Amino acid sequence: MPTHENRAVYSIGAVARMLAVPVSTLRAWEERYGVVTPSRSEGAQRLYSRGQVEQLRYVKEKIESGMSAADAHRLLAQDLQTGQLPATQVAHDADRLPLVLIAERDAYAANLEYFLRTEGCEVAVAMNATQAKLHFDERGPDVVLIDLLISGGAGFRLLADFASRGTARLVAVSAIDSADEALRLGAAAFLRKPLEPLLLVSTIRDLLGTSALVRSVGEQRVKS
Amino acid sequence: MNERLPSGNRHLDAILNGGLLKNAINLIIGIPGSGKTILSQQIAFHNAVSERPALFLSTLSEPLDKVLRYAESLQFFDRAAVHKGRIVYEDMGQVLGEQGLDDVMEFVDRLLKDVNPGVVVIDSFRAFHALAPDVSSFRRFLYALTRRLTAASTTSIWNAPYSRAQAVDEAEFAVADGIIALDLKLVAARELRVLQVMKLRGSGFQSGEHVYRITDAGLLVFPRLADARDQTRYELSAGRSESGIAALDDLLGGTGYWSGATTLIVGPSGIGKTLMGLHFLYEGARVGEPGVLATFQENVSQLSRIAASFGWSIEDKNVKVMSRGLIDLNIDEWVYDLLGLVDATNSKRVVIDSLSDLLTAAVDPVRFREWMSSLIQRFTRAGVSLMLTNEVPDLFQLQRISDEAISHLADNVVLLQYVREGAELARTLTVLKTRAMPHRPVIHRYEITSQGFVLGDVMPLTG
Repeated sequence: MPTHENRAVYSIGAVARMLAVPVSTLRAWEERYGVVTPSRSEGAQRLYSRGQVEQLRYVKEKIESGMSAADAHRLLAQDLQTGQLPATQVAHDADRLPLVLIAERDAYAANLEYFLRTEGCEVAVAMNATQAKLHFDERGPDVVLIDLLISGGAGFRLLADFASRGTARLVAVSAIDSADEALRLGAAAFLRKPLEPLLLVSTIRDLLGTSALVRSVGEQRVKS
Repeated sequence: MNERLPSGNRHLDAILNGGLLKNAINLIIGIPGSGKTILSQQIAFHNAVSERPALFLSTLSEPLDKVLRYAESLQFFDRAAVHKGRIVYEDMGQVLGEQGLDDVMEFVDRLLKDVNPGVVVIDSFRAFHALAPDVSSFRRFLYALTRRLTAASTTSIWNAPYSRAQAVDEAEFAVADGIIALDLKLVAARELRVLQVMKLRGSGFQSGEHVYRITDAGLLVFPRLADARDQTRYELSAGRSESGIAALDDLLGGTGYWSGATTLIVGPSGIGKTLMGLHFLYEGARVGEPGVLATFQENVSQLSRIAASFGWSIEDKNVKVMSRGLIDLNIDEWVYDLLGLVDATNSKRVVIDSLSDLLTAAVDPVRFREWMSSLIQRFTRAGVSLMLTNEVPDLFQLQRISDEAISHLADNVVLLQYVREGAELARTLTVLKTRAMPHRPVIHRYEITSQGFVLGDVMPLTG
C-alpha cells in the first residue's frame, strides 16, 4: 500500500462530506467499535488518512446492504487482520473541469500546477495573498490549496477568510506542522510539505468529489 | 551603555556584555554549517513579541521551506509564534531571482511597514552581492538598506558565509555595529567549534575564542574561562578543612588545610592519590560539607566498589560524582558542568582526578594554564577547597611535580612516592609545601588498609 494512503490528512468534517455520513455517526462508530481510529493532531483533532476513508466507505456499503453496524465493523476488522484492505478506486471521469486555485510560492506552484493539469483540473496560480484574493473573488474555485506561510504567514488569514465564504474546499499546506491551526480555521485537509504529488492529487480529487470513493456514496444517508 | 537585545543564551550574553546591540546592524559570519541560521532564529524567537514581531528573510542560499523544516525540530521553535505572527518568515528568493536590488528595497520597505518588526534576520546577506552590477551600486544599496532598517528602529541580524579572514574585505563589515564569527578549528585531529566576537561598537566583550556546540536547544556557548587576576581583597577563610587522615592533619599544622586552598597530590600510578581525594571528600561529608568528585578515570560502578571497600558509599548525598570520558571532552564546556554542580550542591570541597587527564583534553598547554588559574581563583574566592591529583611517570625520585607550572598555583603540595626497602616497595608521603602554615617536610611511610590511608613512621635515612 503506498504510504500516502496512510498519511493523516482529512478533518472529520471533510470525511463526513465525502461519505455523506454525519460527523456524529463517525464519532459513534469510532467509540463503539474502535476499528477505524483516526490519528490526532497535537491539539487532539481527528485526522483521517485516505485508507481510513476507504475503510469507512466499506462499512457504509455493508450497512446499506442490510448488515448491522457492529457486523460491518467486525467484518472490516477481520479483513484488516488478514490484510485484505479495501482498495482505493480513483475514477478518471470528470463531467466538467474543476478549478483549483493554488496560493503558493514560485517553484512549488509551477510543480503543482503541472500535476493538477495532468489530472484534468483547471488551475489558477496566485503567488501572494493579494493575488489569491483576487482570483478567489473572480473565478470561484472549487478547491483552494493555500500555503499558510505565503506572504509572511498571511495564509492563515486567507484560509479563515475563504472558509467563512463556504464556497470552496480548502487544503492547507505548510512546511511546519500546522494541522490544528488549519483545521480550526476551516481547512478540510492539511498536508505537510514537502508535498507528495500523488497524495496531493488524490486529496484534491476526493475533495472535488471526482474520485469513485466519493461518487459511489451518492446522496444516500446512513443513520448510526 | 547601548541598549541590548538578549540572545536567550546566558553564556553568549555574558560574552556580549548583555546581548547583541539593539537597533543596530549585527553580522553573524561563518562557513556553511557553522550554525548561523540556527543562532539567528534562536535570537529571533527569544525576542519575538506581538507588537514587534521578528522577521526572518531567506534569500537564495536555502529555500525557506527547508529552513523551516529543520528549525521546527529545534526546542526554541515555537509554532504558535509562527501561527500568531509573532515571527514572520518570508522568502525573498523570488524577488532576488527575477528582479533587481531596487525591487529588493521596495520589498523590504513594504515588509517593514506591514510587519513592524523588532528584529530582522537576513539569511544570507551575500546573495545581494550577486545582484549588484558593480561595487558602487552594491554600496549604495547597502547604505540605503541600513538607513531604512535604522529608521524603522529594528535590530538587524545579517548572516553571511564569510570566514574570519575575509571579514575585513566586504563592505558590510564597515557598516556592521557588531560582528560575531562562527568557525570550525581542527585541534589535534578534533573538530572544535569556536565563536569569536570581532566587533561590538561602543562596548567591551569577552575576547578570544569561545567553544560552542550545536544542539537541539540551539547554540550552546561556553565562555572561555579566562578571568582576569582579581585584585580585590576577599575574605580569607579562617576555617580549616580536615584531610580525613588524622595523622596528615597533624603534619599540616594540626587541623588540616585552609578552607578554600588548592592542594596538589602528586605521585605515580596506583600509589593512592584517588584514595586521598576520597578521604578528603568523605571527611567533608561527615562534617556536613558537601563535595564533588570530578573524575575521568573510573567508571561509576568501579568507583563505587573502591569506595565501598573503605566503608564509604557513593550514594552519600554529600558526595556527588561527576564522571566524564575524555573522548571529545572540552575543558571549557566541562568546567561549566563542574561549576554548575558545585553551585547546585553548595559544595565546599572539590576533587579533580586527575590534572593529567584534563591536560590531555586541553591540548594547548598555554591555554590550560590560563584556564586552571581562573578556575583556582574562582574556587578560592568562593571558599571551595580544591584537591587536584597529578600522575607522574617516575616511580622513584620524582623529576618534576607537574608539567604546567600548576604547582606554584597550589597552596599545598603533597608528594606520594615509592621507596625501595630491600626487596619491598614502601609507600611514602611528604608534605612539600603548605602556604601560610607550618609543616614538617619529612618523608613518612604509609599503608593502605581497609581503614584507608594510615600514616606511619618517619622514614629513617638510609643510603
